[in-house]
Amino acid sequence: MLELRGVTVRYGAVRALEDLSLRAEPGGITAILGANGAGKSSLMRAVSGIAPVVGGSVLLDGQDITGLPAPARAKLGIAHAMEGRRLFRQLTVEDNLKLAWSFGARRVALPASLAEIYDRFPILKEKARTPAGLLSGGQQQMVILSCTTIRSPRCLLLDEPSLGLAPIIVQQIYGFITDYAARSGITVVIAEQMATLALKVSRHCLVLRRGRVVLQGPSAELLQGSDGKALAASYL
Amino acid sequence: MNAVRAWLSALVADWRLGLLLVAALLLGAPWLSPGTVQIASFVLIAAIFAQSINLLTGLAGQISLGHAGFFGIGAYCTGILVKTHGLDVALGVPVAVLLAGLTGWLLSFPANRVRDVYLAMMTLGFGMVFFEIVREWNDVTGGTMGLPGVPSAALRTLTILGVKVDGLGYFRLLLLITAGIVLLMRNLTQSRIGRAFYAIHVSEVAAGSIGIPAGRTKQLAYALSGAVAGLAGALYAHLVGYLGPESFALPRSIEVLVIAIVGGLGSIAGQVLSATLFTFLPERLQVFAEWQFIAYGLVLTFSLLVLPRGIGGLFFLPPRFIRPRALARAAARRAETATLRPAGQGAALEAEGITMRFGGLVAVDDVSLRLEPGRITALVGPNGSGKSTFVNVVTGIYRPSAGRVRFAERDITGLPDHQVAAAGVVRTFQDPRLVPHFTVRENLLLGAHRQFRHTGLAAALALPGATRDEAAQLALVEAVLALADLTDVADRPIDTLPYGTRRMAEVGRALLAQPRIILLDEPAAGLSEAEMERLSQLIRDMKAMGIGILLIDHHMDFLAELVDDVVVLDSGRMIYRGDIAGMRGDAQVIAAYLGDEAAHA
Amino acid sequence: MDDFFFSLLLAGVSVGAVYALIALGLNLTFWTTKTLNFGQGSLMMLCAMLTVWLSSQGIGVALAVLGSLAVVAALGMFIERWTVRPALKASGGSMGWVVSTLGFGIFLQGMAAKYFGSQAMAFPDVVFSAQDYVTLFGQYVSLQYLVVLAVAVALILALELFVRKTVWGRAVHAVSLDPELALVQGIPVRRLVLGSFMLSSILAGVAGVLIAQIGGTVDPAFGFDLVLLGFVAAVLGGMGSSFGALAGGLVVGILSKLVGGYVSTAAEHGIAFALLMLALAVRPQGLFGRPEVSKA
Repeated sequence: MLELRGVTVRYGAVRALEDLSLRAEPGGITAILGANGAGKSSLMRAVSGIAPVVGGSVLLDGQDITGLPAPARAKLGIAHAMEGRRLFRQLTVEDNLKLAWSFGARRVALPASLAEIYDRFPILKEKARTPAGLLSGGQQQMVILSCTTIRSPRCLLLDEPSLGLAPIIVQQIYGFITDYAARSGITVVIAEQMATLALKVSRHCLVLRRGRVVLQGPSAELLQGSDGKALAASYL
Repeated sequence: MNAVRAWLSALVADWRLGLLLVAALLLGAPWLSPGTVQIASFVLIAAIFAQSINLLTGLAGQISLGHAGFFGIGAYCTGILVKTHGLDVALGVPVAVLLAGLTGWLLSFPANRVRDVYLAMMTLGFGMVFFEIVREWNDVTGGTMGLPGVPSAALRTLTILGVKVDGLGYFRLLLLITAGIVLLMRNLTQSRIGRAFYAIHVSEVAAGSIGIPAGRTKQLAYALSGAVAGLAGALYAHLVGYLGPESFALPRSIEVLVIAIVGGLGSIAGQVLSATLFTFLPERLQVFAEWQFIAYGLVLTFSLLVLPRGIGGLFFLPPRFIRPRALARAAARRAETATLRPAGQGAALEAEGITMRFGGLVAVDDVSLRLEPGRITALVGPNGSGKSTFVNVVTGIYRPSAGRVRFAERDITGLPDHQVAAAGVVRTFQDPRLVPHFTVRENLLLGAHRQFRHTGLAAALALPGATRDEAAQLALVEAVLALADLTDVADRPIDTLPYGTRRMAEVGRALLAQPRIILLDEPAAGLSEAEMERLSQLIRDMKAMGIGILLIDHHMDFLAELVDDVVVLDSGRMIYRGDIAGMRGDAQVIAAYLGDEAAHA
Repeated sequence: MDDFFFSLLLAGVSVGAVYALIALGLNLTFWTTKTLNFGQGSLMMLCAMLTVWLSSQGIGVALAVLGSLAVVAALGMFIERWTVRPALKASGGSMGWVVSTLGFGIFLQGMAAKYFGSQAMAFPDVVFSAQDYVTLFGQYVSLQYLVVLAVAVALILALELFVRKTVWGRAVHAVSLDPELALVQGIPVRRLVLGSFMLSSILAGVAGVLIAQIGGTVDPAFGFDLVLLGFVAAVLGGMGSSFGALAGGLVVGILSKLVGGYVSTAAEHGIAFALLMLALAVRPQGLFGRPEVSKA
């Protein structure tokens, strides 16, 4: 379980997150919604240890990890797919995967891990020796997701996995995510702009606006309570 | 502590005290021993030399590890001209200064192409190349044997314009020259040139956005710095009388760097103090001389960490970049913001079919839009939809892969950013790019850089015309400060102020560039409700002045009250153009923001 | 081929390989932190001088070399911890660490001059003496040159293999590409950075010993020019590329030896520095590098 207690993040003079609290339970997806600059990425960065947290605490399964540096948190099982499709573009697909595996929990042997991924995304096997930066957006997103799952994480943070992808690819990516979340039973947090999509797959949902939670509750309620209009109002 | 600093700063800024000091030294020198006068002469030369680093590194932010090269060029040039060709010193020294300045100007071209490590290495290489040339060019420089017999004050062989000059006379001459250099440095710092130097130091992109060309500004900095270092070298030649290559090798570059850094980069008085310290110490303390290099090494290693602003920062307030006299003059004038209204008929900016590719990624895909004078157009879209890239293309930071930008019937596609700004198309940045150590007023005045009409020479000599010109712009700055509600904080360094205030200052700075089109990249990001209200009032004021405005933002409520048109981008493509009410109901826009299904809900 | 040209060529290849080694050391820290140790030359000098001093104390030459390398490695870590890291933390610009690493180098040079004296010291023969020759293609070839060449090339290959084939090598590459992503992926960036400075210093130490072996003597001023030559090699080959560094090193080595042989010995280094300025001005990305296309 991931828990944030009154977390405040500040970049210089800019407050990105303000006294934010959240509980994300394992075995289901928690969605973080909000427009650009609402603080979704800052929230994730605060959890993985690369945002300047000036107040509050972050707990993973009850353990306070606020003071730990990012690599130590990664070692504890936090896997973060960062915004803007971040991967090592010059490294090949397989090198990206191997690197992620090497510094992960190594619960499954490398060949078996790779085989499982190639089984799930056959295209990645074809492109194994291609620099990741040359792949299409959807394929890159597959690599990024695989890099997080290959680490056998306890807590998965996905920052806008749908960004800039065609709808059909988004369906495929989300199919994988829901499947993985159900299968592994770990804590999964997704930041999304595509509200309806995120609401459909998630169990619980928070809407951020300017660094604060403005709306939260079970996703099903939020989805029914509005036909998109109420949500749209918090964006447009 | 700051009160003491303020008192000391006022003291050194007082011209009467300076005059008194110079007069006392001029008149009192005969009572000093010849040895002391000699050391004092070295102090003055070191002080001049340190100012050259102060100018290049302290003001313009360009590191140099090879300044001994310029020093040496000055020394050898006058040495050879006077000794071998029998030129008068009064001619030899100016020629040496010109040659060193020219070398600086030439070096600026390769130096402009690199930065950081590469620049440091390049300047190190420059110093080494100079050293090798001097050592090898036997016929001219005397090679490793050096060049003895240069007419010198110490050897009593120096005559200037037929007058015999001894050690004492030379010291007095040096004192006057040093006083002159210090004055020029101060004037330059407190002029548009000093401000431009400092602006490219902090951010070349931001400087370009208000029309300050980074390339030309750096050329000037290198040429001036080279000339000042050359002057120090030339004066050194006629003090010692013997020139050997070892005097102009790396240790000399290191020494001047130590003096400049310990003096405090940017502080003129600090340089003089530091030059005194580092020239007297080795002479007076034998212990120090023995440990000199070890001490220099330690000073360089830790000074920037322990004493980042050097002696200057310890004793004095940070330097200011506006002439007090111009400020006083401006207080007596009043300017109307109406003066900022673009002259003549407003002109439209037209972007046609702009496409921007990065490798395989298409960031902006065939976007066309038109900005009319006195109209506000909003540019919105999800993350990564290409808004900032579009602004970067229009303002000349990127050259588009396809498409044209036309402004006032003129094709401005692919012009460098400072020329686009000069044409009247000015922008602000997503993260405010101001000069952190400048006050709010100085930052705003920086925006008026292109409006000044006086020459650089007038600025350096602080001629009345230059002061008048500065005062006129300062009066306008005052008016914009009032408009942006910044008058109360005008004299506070901008990095001590809240984020919202900085954003307002950046918009104000752009306004002082007297734009005809202004592009604001997320000006409301991170502002409080009250600050947003002030910002929207400022934007309305600009609209009333007839300026064409492009506004990127995500706060739809903020935009709704302000804008005339909305353009929505998604994945680099324009998916909507029209009014804001229409946008809210547009299926494609909703799909872009919320996902596909939402549009059908 | 005439003998003179051949001997110059061989000397050029040999010192060029050492320049490449220096360049490689610079590359290492450039990969992990985008910084260079401007005092690297002093580490080269110190390693060679310590070797001389230790062996004069009756310690075997091989042991003396190892001991000196250990000292230099420790200094490398000190430099990262106390000059580079604080400077990077204090300001965004490069001014801070350029000045602080340069300062520390000067400090070491000053210390060496104070305790070992500023006179040139004769460097002991580590493997072969300067008189050992073999004949190759009918030419006399100094064994020392061959050994230096072999050691340098072997180290370059080993490092390249390390970077390409091992987990830690891949991690170094990853840090150079995106330090933040590396952190999030659990790569201990800080330890890696410290390690890169240590390894970089060891490479500098080896290079110092090799150059001293060829030249026969060391003095406290030794090293400053050399590190600049190594930088020329790195820039020519494209900063960060190992094989580029080797190619760049060979170009610089051969060119400067040929100029030294046919024009003037003293112009040897001058020509290399001129080459540096030219290369930086014309192709900052190196002869073999491609300009980076990036979205700002």
